[in-house]
Amino acid sequence: MQSDPQSHRTGFAAEWHEVTVQYPFATRQVVGPVSIAVRPGERVLLLGPSGSGKSTLLLTLTGLVSNSIPATVSGDICLFGVNVGTRQPWAWAAQVAQYFQDADQTLCGMRVEDEIAFALENRALPPKHIADRVMEAMQRVGVPESWRKRPTSTLSGGERQLVALAATLVQNAPLFVADEPTAHLAPQAADRLHALLTEHDPHRSVLIVDHRLEGLIQHIDRMVVLGRDGTILAEGHPRTIFRDERDLLASEGIWCPVATMLDAQLEHAGIAPPAAPLSVEEALSHVDPALSSREDVDRAIPAVKAFVAEYAVRSAPTALGAPVLAELVKADCAPFLGPTILRNIDLAIHQGEILGIFGANGAGKSTLGLCLSGLLPLKAGSRTGAPGGYAFQRPENQFTVGTVRDEILDALPEQVAARDKAEHVASALATWGLSGLENRHPFELSQGQKRRLALATLTVSDRWPVLVLDEPTAGLDALGVSTLMREMQALQGRGHAIAVITHDMDLALRLCPRSIVVGEGGILADGPTQELMSDTALLRRAGLAEPSCAIALQWLHRVASC
Amino acid sequence: MLKALNPLSKLLVCIVGLVASVLVFDARFQVVLIVVTGFTLVALNRTSPLLLLALMVPFCLFGLGFLTTSLLFRQDSDFATRMAGEALLSSHAFSAGLTLFLRAVACGMISVFFALTTDPAALVRALMVHARLPPRIGYSLFAAMLLVPDLASEAQQMRIARAMKTGRRIRRVPGPAEIMSLVIPMLAFAIRRAGRTALALEARGLSPVGPRTVLNAPSFRRSDAIFIIAALSVIALCGAAAFSDIGGVLSLPLVGHEEPA
Amino acid sequence: MSSTRGWTLRETLIVTVLGAVFAVLYLGWVQVWLIAQAIFGPVTMDVVMGFWFIASIVAAAIIRKPGVAFAAEVLTAAVQILLGSPAGLLLLVTGAVQGAGAEVVFAATRWRNYSLPVLLTAGIGAAIFSFIYTWIRFDYGALQPGILIAMFILRCLSGALLGGWLGHLIVEALYRTGALAGLAIDHAKRSAIA
Ligand SMILES: Nc1ncnc2c1ncn2[C@@H]1O[C@H](COP(=O)(O)OP(=O)(O)OP(=O)(O)O)[C@@H](O)[C@H]1O
Ligand SMILES: Nc1ncnc2c1ncn2[C@@H]1O[C@H](COP(=O)(O)OP(=O)(O)OP(=O)(O)O)[C@@H](O)[C@H]1O
Ligand SMILES: [Mg+2]
Ligand SMILES: [Mg+2]
Repeated sequence: MQSDPQSHRTGFAAEWHEVTVQYPFATRQVVGPVSIAVRPGERVLLLGPSGSGKSTLLLTLTGLVSNSIPATVSGDICLFGVNVGTRQPWAWAAQVAQYFQDADQTLCGMRVEDEIAFALENRALPPKHIADRVMEAMQRVGVPESWRKRPTSTLSGGERQLVALAATLVQNAPLFVADEPTAHLAPQAADRLHALLTEHDPHRSVLIVDHRLEGLIQHIDRMVVLGRDGTILAEGHPRTIFRDERDLLASEGIWCPVATMLDAQLEHAGIAPPAAPLSVEEALSHVDPALSSREDVDRAIPAVKAFVAEYAVRSAPTALGAPVLAELVKADCAPFLGPTILRNIDLAIHQGEILGIFGANGAGKSTLGLCLSGLLPLKAGSRTGAPGGYAFQRPENQFTVGTVRDEILDALPEQVAARDKAEHVASALATWGLSGLENRHPFELSQGQKRRLALATLTVSDRWPVLVLDEPTAGLDALGVSTLMREMQALQGRGHAIAVITHDMDLALRLCPRSIVVGEGGILADGPTQELMSDTALLRRAGLAEPSCAIALQWLHRVASC
Repeated sequence: MLKALNPLSKLLVCIVGLVASVLVFDARFQVVLIVVTGFTLVALNRTSPLLLLALMVPFCLFGLGFLTTSLLFRQDSDFATRMAGEALLSSHAFSAGLTLFLRAVACGMISVFFALTTDPAALVRALMVHARLPPRIGYSLFAAMLLVPDLASEAQQMRIARAMKTGRRIRRVPGPAEIMSLVIPMLAFAIRRAGRTALALEARGLSPVGPRTVLNAPSFRRSDAIFIIAALSVIALCGAAAFSDIGGVLSLPLVGHEEPA
Repeated sequence: MSSTRGWTLRETLIVTVLGAVFAVLYLGWVQVWLIAQAIFGPVTMDVVMGFWFIASIVAAAIIRKPGVAFAAEVLTAAVQILLGSPAGLLLLVTGAVQGAGAEVVFAATRWRNYSLPVLLTAGIGAAIFSFIYTWIRFDYGALQPGILIAMFILRCLSGALLGGWLGHLIVEALYRTGALAGLAIDHAKRSAIA
């Protein structure tokens, strides 16, 4: 089952030829026409703005779209040289392992070990063999033995993602397809998984959709960029695309690696790296202070400084003595129907403050956030302050009514006049790039659209003095994140207190003057974000990583000391 | 150790127990069933007696309904007892009501016995291996069983989201009006979850045809045989005792009330 | 939506999952019935009966395929037994009879029409079937004809309102949540608009 013999004949593991997709009763195609081919052993990244049809395209691969999710698909789709339509979706499972965008969509709700063994059971492998492979997958992905008997519904968002990845990796299929596989993973876990997913193996092709490029992009052989209209904008090696199409990507709101910006700065200074860099280290390797000429290094300094300045804290620090808007005192926090996981928490959040909350997966960040916003009763201790708003880690949890418009209307305070309400809704939709979707069901949106809608319901009014945003950047494209940053800073300016739970260290560094690190059943550290981020021991202990600009900062220090 | 038994042997014993409880319309028989089952749970499964009592509350409420109807509507006792299908045995409405009450608790106890000692996954696996249940049906049932406990946490999430939007505090226990308002969202959640699970099952290759391995399928061991023989003998002995005591009059196998389905 | 008569995996799962949720609701309704019964006397059963037909009506109106109404009701009964309904195993028979009553009505439209009148009729169908069944089980022949007629009419009304009409309301409310996208009902409704 390792590789289909036919793949050698046609040469492609997967191939879309002139494919278009239209959802029923939609006015236009979401995809296409698109032609993409993935060769055996190739690792392809599919990149594009939110709502450009990436997930839809992946779902057509084994025929789930049109077979199980109604849509009209035209064009040819082939897997290992065989037309997809000739088999039912389930018959492809031995060849294609699929991780869907949402871990909950990938998992069936069973216990962890059953979940991981499921695909192999379906292939009627011998029990002993299955047991060995399950064990191996758990070790490789980092799923602890102690989770074996736990139902996946009692895991935290990131833990669930790990299990779902183990359940798809265990299939060891010749084609691995993953839709944002690391969106909810803490930095260290994300790095490990990126390396695992993209391990080079001539018998395994990989097709990944991701917005999170750091640590992934180095392992990619080719990338395909989709535009808003669902057609291909660019295709080629990451190095060429990120240098040649930089402006196009930026204008479409598509993520580029952090190094691309440094590359631009260096180019501007006339000292561009010889090859387009994919990591900050690469970008600076030709101006190593110990090896390169002093002249080159001197020319690079202002560029690097400008780059680092981009990642400095941008929002004003909290005014000294600003009133406390919410406070936990000696609080014990437990998830609903779960055990107490955080003890003796003392945490205050002030007017006009943006507080960062970091920690490994399962550390208790979401639980702490819910307690801080006053929505989850404490096991012990007390909370003072007005009730807050909360952006759930799973955006679906936010939705209580039937359409996008009603969802926003519902979040407006009652005293707003009816006429103003329509205006508020229209402006919120425009701000978050959701115009035209107002009559859609929230659950039919793409993942990034769902996230934006959920955030729009929270930021549209001033009704919550305290806001807690749980991983708001997961699934967002670059445009979405810049909207989010603008909105957060506007709320901050109006005196709100915002706590943001995130795994994105770069974002945190820009937004949060102060942060806390959660772990080991309590708060490990509380202080200025910049200080926390330079404490490598703390970062390692809490499963975090340095922000991308750290290397550039170190470079500046080395230059200064030379 | 009860957990280690094959779910199918427990299922067999429980079904026999339920049938016996329905057929033998005798208060003492029901009491014996309740006591024996409860004692087995506490002794062999280390179930806390308090938990057991708490679990019996809804069944007692349910049973109490019969008791009060037969007490309050004495004038209808003809109707009520005929409904109870045991006019031959006792014309006394109260004893009929009492038996119905005890029967509700006995059935509840047997069901709880099954639920507390059996992992639903193991049951489905056993059915797939030993009863040739098709995997698609098996996993559908499995998904439904897994859903029920998740309804609680999903309802809680929904209540949090609503409390946030309405600005009212969440009550620890939802009132009847709030429960009613959660019915539709919970149904919608269930249907969505079903669709999602179907996609996940299909994507990982659950096929309607062909062989598949069933891991950790419970097998039948000697302890199963011992359990079945012991349990059935106890039920048979008690049943026989009840019958002989009644004096050979067969209680009609009619059920006491119209059951909702 | 698949146009074939066979059920897709998604549809199978939806029927079982609806069975599970309605089983919980049915058990709750039993409590309502008992309280009402204690106050108003035994005829209450006929008044509240219709709610116990609702699973088959909702499932059928959503999936619109042969066998759905019957299977949903039997499954609900099975899950209730698993959840510990004291009514015991005979519940399966009751469920089968009631499900068959609704199924017969849908079969009469060749599983094509699921408008409100058909749903109301399905509720009445289930009521009639269940009435015949209880007649046999409890020897209704011994009752006064007046009471019998009253009981029959009450039960049919209950089947139509608590079963058919309430079922219709639930389906409409569910449709508005968007959870039914891609199912037969969604297809029918959108084509009706288009
Ligand atoms: N089931 C559906 N029915 C109708 N429209 C849908 C459905 N699923 C997605 N869409 C729409 O199709 C478009 C593409 O969605 P898709 O999920 O493929 O986007 P995406 O590129 O994966 O975006 P993201 O990065 O946000 O995940 C979106 O505009 C979305 O609203
Ligand atoms: N119902 C439950 N039963 C048992 N344990 C639970 C339950 N719910 C959550 N937990 C555990 O509580 C811990 C904290 O969960 P929480 O969701 O707060 O983590 P988190 O820090 O937000 O993680 P992530 O980054 O993955 O979202 C996790 O280890 C999780 O496994
Ligand atoms: Mg997507
Ligand atoms: Mg979390």
